[in-house]
Amino acid sequence: MNKRALLFRLGAVLVLIAIAACMMVIGRGHTIYLDNKTLEYEGTEYKACYRATLYGPDGEKISRLNARERGMSTNIGQSFSMTVGIIEQKDADEVMQTIALKLPYNMDGIIVNIPGYLAGLPQDAWMSEFVATPSEAELQEEAPADGEDVLAGAEF
Amino acid sequence: MKNDNFGKKVVGLIRDNTVPLMFILICAVCIPISGFSLPYLINEIVTRMGRNIFLILALLIPIMSGMGLNFGMTLGAMAGEIALIFVSDWQIWGIPGVVLAMILSIPISVLLGAFCGKILNMAKGREMITSYILSFFMNGIYQLLVLYIMGSLIPIKHFSIKLPRGYGIRNTVSLLNMRQCLDNLLAVRVGGVKIPVLTFIIIGVLCLFIVWFRRTKLGQDMRAVGQDMGVARDAGINVERTRIISIVMSTVLAGFGMIIYLQNMGNIATYSSHSQIGMFCIAALLVGGASVDRASIGNVFLGVVLFHTMFIVAPKAGAVITGDSMIGEYFRVFVSYAVITLALIMYETKKRKHKSLVGQQLQQAQKEADAHE
Repeated sequence: MNKRALLFRLGAVLVLIAIAACMMVIGRGHTIYLDNKTLEYEGTEYKACYRATLYGPDGEKISRLNARERGMSTNIGQSFSMTVGIIEQKDADEVMQTIALKLPYNMDGIIVNIPGYLAGLPQDAWMSEFVATPSEAELQEEAPADGEDVLAGAEF
Repeated sequence: MKNDNFGKKVVGLIRDNTVPLMFILICAVCIPISGFSLPYLINEIVTRMGRNIFLILALLIPIMSGMGLNFGMTLGAMAGEIALIFVSDWQIWGIPGVVLAMILSIPISVLLGAFCGKILNMAKGREMITSYILSFFMNGIYQLLVLYIMGSLIPIKHFSIKLPRGYGIRNTVSLLNMRQCLDNLLAVRVGGVKIPVLTFIIIGVLCLFIVWFRRTKLGQDMRAVGQDMGVARDAGINVERTRIISIVMSTVLAGFGMIIYLQNMGNIATYSSHSQIGMFCIAALLVGGASVDRASIGNVFLGVVLFHTMFIVAPKAGAVITGDSMIGEYFRVFVSYAVITLALIMYETKKRKHKSLVGQQLQQAQKEADAHE
């Protein structure tokens, strides 16, 4: 193999590795759980608001969270931004707030406490990892049994 | 005389296109019986075209280099599945997930393709049966990897992918987070029919690549090898290397095709998705009028349309005629195998006929030469 061909191939491999690395960052998926729950931090209580409404990027309502409720959103990439309409008390007006976060790469599920975030507390106070527990069905599923036809036809 | 020529032409045309004509006939009978509406049928066919054409196009290059129908494309499908399992575990979603899976599948496909190519070089003239058996052998290795090595030696993090015992991959891996991401991006609806524009653009690019590749030096070498290995070798072409490259290219493309296919389906049947894919792709190509030594992009498109029309309408038509939809299911599987058998028999008959014709001509020439002496 001549030098030019070798360099060309090495270049191609490096480009592919670079694209793969980019894809790993921009395509990392996270599930974000937004909690409208009272948070206690260093002896101070940050009360859940009466109602928090989550809005999507086009301004459409995604979900409405009463006190002690949890909402969920999925996100691709390392930054997350969402508009939340906060109603502090029953007859109060809705105040729009933006939640903008840099998501940790190693966490699949991330719990964000809205009252803690809006109070400007440090990240450890309002962010934690969501660790899902396997369901009963997921715990029961097993590998193909002996003799089971693993060569059975698939849908085409 | 003119009429005689015309008649011969028609008979020749029918003889050369027996399989597609047979399928057109089956579809023409089954479509009205099934009672499906035209928009529904078109929608289904367009979806399946986007899902399968890339995979079937992967078969064209080995045919060009005279290696017949590459049943070893299953190896590429396995590479695509392994890449998707990793991407799914690393939680890379959407189009980046698909692109990453394609990149990851390349080294696996190249390795498997090179291995397959080397084996096929040892079995010249028996490439199809060798690649068919090789795919069974590789299926065993794949199962060893997926069932025992993944999760134990190769880290797999998510319990939704890993078996509860702590190692091995579940029967089904969900691709919900990348389901139809290629098909939905730039999708257009025309009269209730969803057209996956991006997928068709990717297919179009591959078609253009194949057309371009045929004109390159390597493409010409492959055609020369496909026509006559001895002559190609005398002309200074490295026959073995050219054949390996064609199988590697086919395996890599099959890996990409499998990823496109699975993102459309939205889940991986870990232990069975790849097993029949080679058989169905080959059947679809043959239905389009291709043969063991000749196939074109047109054959791929026609084959997918006819084969899938039959796939869609046969169970319903079977249910209407016999009252049991399973008859239709059996029928389509039977037809898949039958069409491959028929194509192989026709190819062999044609080859023998050609050989005997050459023999007769030689004998005649010999007789004439003897008479002159």
